Amino acid sequence: MNSRIRSFSCAGLAFGALSLAGCYSPGVENPSGVPVVEMRPDERGFVAGTGVESQDLVAVTDKMARGILGVPEIAQAKTTPRIVLDPVINETRFPINKDIFNDRIVNQLMERAGGKVRFLARDRMKALERENELKRSGQVTASSDPNVVEFRGADYFLTGKLQGLTTRTSQGTSDYVMYSFELIDARTSEIVWRGSSEIKKQGLEDAAYR
Amino acid sequence: MQFPSGGRPRAATSAAGLAALLALLLSGCVGPPLPTDRELVTTDPKLIGIPARDKVLWQYRLGLQALRAGRDAEARERLDDAILTMGGIITGTADAARARSLWAAEGAKTFIGEPYERAMAYYYRGILYWRDGQPDNARACFRSVQFLDSAAEDASYRGDYVLADYLDGLASVKLAADGADARARAEKSAGRELPEYDPAANVLVFAEWGRGPLKYADGQAGEKLRFNLADSAARRAVLTVAGQAVPLPPYDDLNFQATTRGGRVMDYILDRKAVFKDQAGTLGDVALTGAIVTHEVGRGEDKDKAALALAAIGLISKVASGAANASADTRAWDNLPQYLGFAALRLAPGEYPATLRFYSAEGRVLSAHTQELVIRVREGGAGDTVVFLSELAKNPQ
Repeated sequence: MNSRIRSFSCAGLAFGALSLAGCYSPGVENPSGVPVVEMRPDERGFVAGTGVESQDLVAVTDKMARGILGVPEIAQAKTTPRIVLDPVINETRFPINKDIFNDRIVNQLMERAGGKVRFLARDRMKALERENELKRSGQVTASSDPNVVEFRGADYFLTGKLQGLTTRTSQGTSDYVMYSFELIDARTSEIVWRGSSEIKKQGLEDAAYR
Repeated sequence: MQFPSGGRPRAATSAAGLAALLALLLSGCVGPPLPTDRELVTTDPKLIGIPARDKVLWQYRLGLQALRAGRDAEARERLDDAILTMGGIITGTADAARARSLWAAEGAKTFIGEPYERAMAYYYRGILYWRDGQPDNARACFRSVQFLDSAAEDASYRGDYVLADYLDGLASVKLAADGADARARAEKSAGRELPEYDPAANVLVFAEWGRGPLKYADGQAGEKLRFNLADSAARRAVLTVAGQAVPLPPYDDLNFQATTRGGRVMDYILDRKAVFKDQAGTLGDVALTGAIVTHEVGRGEDKDKAALALAAIGLISKVASGAANASADTRAWDNLPQYLGFAALRLAPGEYPATLRFYSAEGRVLSAHTQELVIRVREGGAGDTVVFLSELAKNPQ
């Protein structure tokens, strides 16, 4: 009986060794990968970053809106400045929804500025011109003389750019993205305000995908 | 085999029971089905019935099918959905851990594809962005193509998609930026001079032909990922439009891209699994042979007990060897083309009948592949007209 117990103990040990050997991936560093972590842009990372996400959008547009409202040309303007938004230019490796940046900045400025700034809906010009045409032709009513041009000209242009740097090594992937926005005086072409925000991310995918 | 007198039935039953228990335990190591194994919960009729882990694969295939059929909105939606999963960094998922374990095949993980497949999802999305008047987002996609190709083992094959760099430069030129560096990189990868950028070119023609790489598993345990390559009879295409013969030379060959990645980390894991499978099998053979030999020629009163122990070890090893799964993942984006061609030209707004012809290596027209089409050029200011021509749209797989 003791021999049988010994026999099955041996068998059990062999099985245990086999099972343990099978339940992990030998010889691979970080087999499960390393979760993406957010770092300060000036912090040295073990690799370099990844894409543009909603929390970045929120952080960046908040900062930009605060910056714009602090500019003397806006804060102390005698007449309400009119701003036209130019779509942001994406120079990173991440395709993005560009409108969302401008839309959120507009939302932030409109909410916080309390009427101190106005935005011109240049992206709706076709529809607006069509409406004016209908008014001029008498097809629809008008509350003012439709032959007088009332479309406002811009006092400022707000535009932005996303630039990125990518590093990839066997240790992972790192992306640094710089978001810069500027407010340009439409009359003088002076840049009256410029703000930027930087985000760096890095991570290493699961070994099953490497 | 003779068992100790009086102990045969019990010993045999114990051995069989142990083997059954082992088989159960080993199957338990794979674990219960994961959410990714279940059928995808969806209202999309084209995705009903597929396992959740294959969603990206089907979105790739269906997205490309939609693009070829001119259903841009559907193509956009499917490619965006695939990129949502594939474009991030996948860490710590149960299905990936299982794919790395001894007892499950690589195909048990959520599919995102090999780098050439992921790169092609970005390539097609880039074409759609350009068509939508967003050359900067298109450029971002082409940059992602090169990024995905940057993990090749041999540095000379890293980021060597000629068209991705060439289009990166063209998009930059269109955006009033400098495209010289990207063009220089493209020429270096191509090993030839490429057409000068024409910022006024308002019609961009993307062409593709031939059938792309497919996958199969090789090696004793199916642990080696290999590619089935069929070289297209067509080597170049020419578009005849508005009295011009516009050459569409191949910029990239996906067969080349698929086979120049080199070793993966996952290959190393699969190799180790195959070694385990092989060694456990050998151990089993040795132990079972030892059991027979011990029983037949052994001495002493415990020889049958020793034989039984060896038989048990042999059985366990054989079961473990049989349960180990080193199979490489052979799921493939199977409607990809082999060659990618491109040309940029100037055309005034309007409609133009055009003919797309494919030529063999000897310069013979492959008339069965010829396509007649109409190119509608947008009004100036509405962005570039992006024409996507696929030989596989006429001859789908």
